[in-house]
Amino acid sequence: MTPILEFSNVDAFYGKIHALQNVSFTVKEGEITALLGSNGAGKSTILKAISGLVQVRSGTIRFMGEVIHQKLPHDIVSQGIIQVPEGRRIFGSMTVLENLELGGFTQRKDHRFLKQTLELIFTLFPRLKERAKQKAGTLSGGEQQMVAIGRALMGKPKLLMLDEPSMGLAPIVVKDIMKIISQINQQGTTVLLVEQNARAALKLAHTGYVVETGEITLSGSTEQLSQDHNIIHAYLA
Amino acid sequence: MDIFLQQVINALVVGTFYGLIALGYSMVYGIIRLLNFAHGDLFMLGAFAGFSVLSLFTGQVGFIGIGLALIVSVLVVGLIGLGVERIAYRPLIKKKSPKLNLLITAVGVSLAIEYAVMLSYGPSFRVYPIQLPNTGFHIGDVKITYIQLGIILFTILIMIFLQLFIHKSIYGKAMRSIAIDDTATSLMGIPVHRFIGLTFFMGSGLAAVAGVMDGIYYGQINFLMGFLFGLKAFTAAVIGGIGSVNGAMLGGLVLGIVETLGTVYVGGEWKDVFAFGILILFLVLKPTGLLGEAVNERV
Repeated sequence: MTPILEFSNVDAFYGKIHALQNVSFTVKEGEITALLGSNGAGKSTILKAISGLVQVRSGTIRFMGEVIHQKLPHDIVSQGIIQVPEGRRIFGSMTVLENLELGGFTQRKDHRFLKQTLELIFTLFPRLKERAKQKAGTLSGGEQQMVAIGRALMGKPKLLMLDEPSMGLAPIVVKDIMKIISQINQQGTTVLLVEQNARAALKLAHTGYVVETGEITLSGSTEQLSQDHNIIHAYLA
Repeated sequence: MDIFLQQVINALVVGTFYGLIALGYSMVYGIIRLLNFAHGDLFMLGAFAGFSVLSLFTGQVGFIGIGLALIVSVLVVGLIGLGVERIAYRPLIKKKSPKLNLLITAVGVSLAIEYAVMLSYGPSFRVYPIQLPNTGFHIGDVKITYIQLGIILFTILIMIFLQLFIHKSIYGKAMRSIAIDDTATSLMGIPVHRFIGLTFFMGSGLAAVAGVMDGIYYGQINFLMGFLFGLKAFTAAVIGGIGSVNGAMLGGLVLGIVETLGTVYVGGEWKDVFAFGILILFLVLKPTGLLGEAVNERV
């Protein structure tokens, strides 16, 4: 399968820290690709670089063949690369529905798509339907994560990027969220998943990359990675 | 009692002026956390833009003239507000300069506008080129002129429109979400800087409306009129809870009433003492204002 995203020899700085050093990887269309690694390894910086929130010093990022790393964040979103940021970053003092509507900003002219997607989100997350008029900040952590994922779906992602969706959630809720991510993928959306929770991520993803101190140190199919001694030792044991 | 009610009516008119200017203060503060101290001067520019339009008419100036003055003034001042953001503030915001630099820049912009107007229109008071009849109607012994009624009704109309825009339209919601989290907003595909520009345009336009109405109501304008009015509007914004749209209007009305009643019962020379005394009281006792929330949804 052709890669939908090509991240080639990218160097990036986060403040003064050399956060990414010559990082290369690809995301294949239709797959779930996982970026694994411990806190501070540079996984989030990779997503920020793709979204245009962190400047790329050298190297290129291509999406569907087109160079995107000099574009502005909102233009990158318009192309269909949508990120669910770390810590969810929902608009807490706005209602659940308003959060979802904002996620659909780029599709604001396509009323039919917005209506259908809203219905889809409410079937994926029935609890959000009940709480549509409630302020998003009053929801539980898991529900807020649902809002964040729903908000991203409203933007019609071709590539959905999730930064630590399991963070701060109870194990049962993590399971739910992972199941939903898998469903979204099966409906045709390519997913790039950043996770510290390697066990959950390896179960879900097709391909994985291990990021350590700004470099990619291992890559392969998730079956291979699950059996790799270093991985078992460092992340699964 | 009648004197009291009569003064309340007068206070409401002054209060709408403060409120309309405070709206721009509050909206801009809400979205980029900048106290735009040049905002009062945009009000003054609005008065002068209206002055120029009305000067074109010879003889009777009707509703068409006033409407035209308002439209031109809103557009011109709105664009100038947009330009100020683009030229003076945006480079600093992009560089993530300290807030103090922005504040000092705002004072610079304020002086630049004031003295540019002084050089163009002269330093003395100018008589507003419109004479509206001072007629009205009575409720009991309280007289309400048609000008007062017009100002109050028009302001109510603006507030309704603003509420609908901010709470119902996707663009208003985008402005609110920027106030909460601009980075997350950009991840929704929303062009944040364009919306900051829109906020400046709207805030400046509202100040321009107040400027034209002020000129018509008081009959004379001057290049420094924005200074004191701007500070009072800032006071109104703080009273209402800076960042809150309803708060700005409420703060304007409260300030108008406090100030007017102070004038009547204590003496006109105490007017500004009352206005700024209440600012200090609020800053000390209730810095979030009447309607300000502790959470930071602020537009």
